[in-house]
Amino acid sequence: MPDISAKIAGLELENPLILASGILDENGYTMRRIMEEGAAAVVTKSIGIDERAGYRPPVIAEVDSGLLNAVGLANPGIESFGEEIEIALTAGKPVIGSIFASTVEDFVNLAEKMEKFSVSGVELNLSCPHVEGFGTEVGSDASLVEEIVTEIKKKISVPLFAKLSPNVSNMLEIAKAAERADAYVLINTVRGMSIDINARKPVLSNRYGGLSGSAIKPVGIRYVYEVKKETGKEIVGVGGIETGYDAIEYIMAGASALQIGTALFRHGRRVFDLVNGQINDFMAREKVDRIDELIGVAISG
Amino acid sequence: MICVAVTGKREETPLVSTLYFEWDQIVKPGQFVMVWLPDVGEIPMSLSITEGTKAITVKEYGPTSKALRNLEPGDRLFFRGPYGDSFTPAEGEVLLVGGGTGMASLRPLISLNSSAVVSARNEKELLFDDEFERERIFRVTDDGSAGVKGTPVDQLRSMDLERFSMLYVCGPEKMLKAVHDYLKGRNVKAEFSLERLMKCGIGICDSCSVDGYQLCRDGPVFDIESIGRMREFGVTKLTDSGRRVKI
Repeated sequence: MPDISAKIAGLELENPLILASGILDENGYTMRRIMEEGAAAVVTKSIGIDERAGYRPPVIAEVDSGLLNAVGLANPGIESFGEEIEIALTAGKPVIGSIFASTVEDFVNLAEKMEKFSVSGVELNLSCPHVEGFGTEVGSDASLVEEIVTEIKKKISVPLFAKLSPNVSNMLEIAKAAERADAYVLINTVRGMSIDINARKPVLSNRYGGLSGSAIKPVGIRYVYEVKKETGKEIVGVGGIETGYDAIEYIMAGASALQIGTALFRHGRRVFDLVNGQINDFMAREKVDRIDELIGVAISG
Repeated sequence: MICVAVTGKREETPLVSTLYFEWDQIVKPGQFVMVWLPDVGEIPMSLSITEGTKAITVKEYGPTSKALRNLEPGDRLFFRGPYGDSFTPAEGEVLLVGGGTGMASLRPLISLNSSAVVSARNEKELLFDDEFERERIFRVTDDGSAGVKGTPVDQLRSMDLERFSMLYVCGPEKMLKAVHDYLKGRNVKAEFSLERLMKCGIGICDSCSVDGYQLCRDGPVFDIESIGRMREFGVTKLTDSGRRVKI
């Protein structure tokens, strides 16, 4: 039997699959069930200082090979979220707290609160593509990113993950600015749009949204490969993973662990067991004992 | 997004209308669609007729439902679906227990073998009570303007429920909880259709989850045993921001 356990930024995971931020992770009971049904860990919905209702629906549109979403960073505010994390933690697996803000001070404040809630790691949302003043707008400013990461690292002891955006002109520059983080999470959604031709209007109430699902997998593979090759840092791969073979592809590009989100739409919560089973079968067939034997093996030159 | 024309409209109560449309699609009782009003919003709606010409029955309570109710025959209706699971068909006599517009998702179950406890705030708001024969309808109103004054449980107490092969229940969660608590431990089979805030309809946004189950995908219909195990049922729910509040 191959060993499919994984290690990222010092976190021990029973398998390489983590629930991605933004999908089924606002209610503590849901996060617990996702872990009970196969995920090794979860990343919470991105949480800010203040409560936000998000955009009015439609916040999601089905498109070819994926989903387009603009939920609008809906969240109850950090003070109300401790209760959900407490429920999620009863699964006995790592919970990673995702946070978003527009200033260094708010980011530090949120990270410290998350650590107090007993999370196993903090993920920085530097990449939400659809809310003014947050996400990519922060994450495309290299000096701001460097300051956010540097200041948070001084204040918390759990691992820090920087989730970066593909919607920038030079991701490597941002990755280097965030190099004090313990690991990168690549990639967030790709900015996109869908128009209903009968209504002659954009489907999403926010008009623009983020594209996820198998449509963006080649984009994710490319960034994981490039950033791993250039920085050598640990990476969590995310973007269009629906099968174990997609997962292996990300690992060969340089990922040490993986996140799954949109595939829950196609396969339901059993997707974690499904993908883990296929990873296991591939490793058995290829006579690979441990996942780290495959990390970055496709990188050359 | 599916786009059809509204072919008919019927005023049901002062705040509730039924919109009819042709849609060549197999839909089961209890399933729903996400209805989109461009520039206004998108809301989940149960199908109130699932055979032949389809229909939705809408109550005005917010901007989107108000705009939907203002549609007239000839107007376009945009929606996606059908989504969710459905009520399990049962042989023999069945009892429908509906509160307010909860009757909309129970309406496809109306047959020669069905009786109903229909409840509303007052007589004018009773929905689909005129679809049943006289001896098969039990009306309940908050103010006593028709039938029993009180809650559906007040009516159920006086009934022999074991003669029904199945009870189908839909309405506000407080009512569902009260009916569940009354039925629990009795020798009856029952299914409940739950309603929560719903944003995506496809099992990813977590707005409608109860105890880790997504109403839009695992539900909205659950049997009495499953619903009885849910710690959030009738106790707490999440707002549109994800804040946990008491029901």
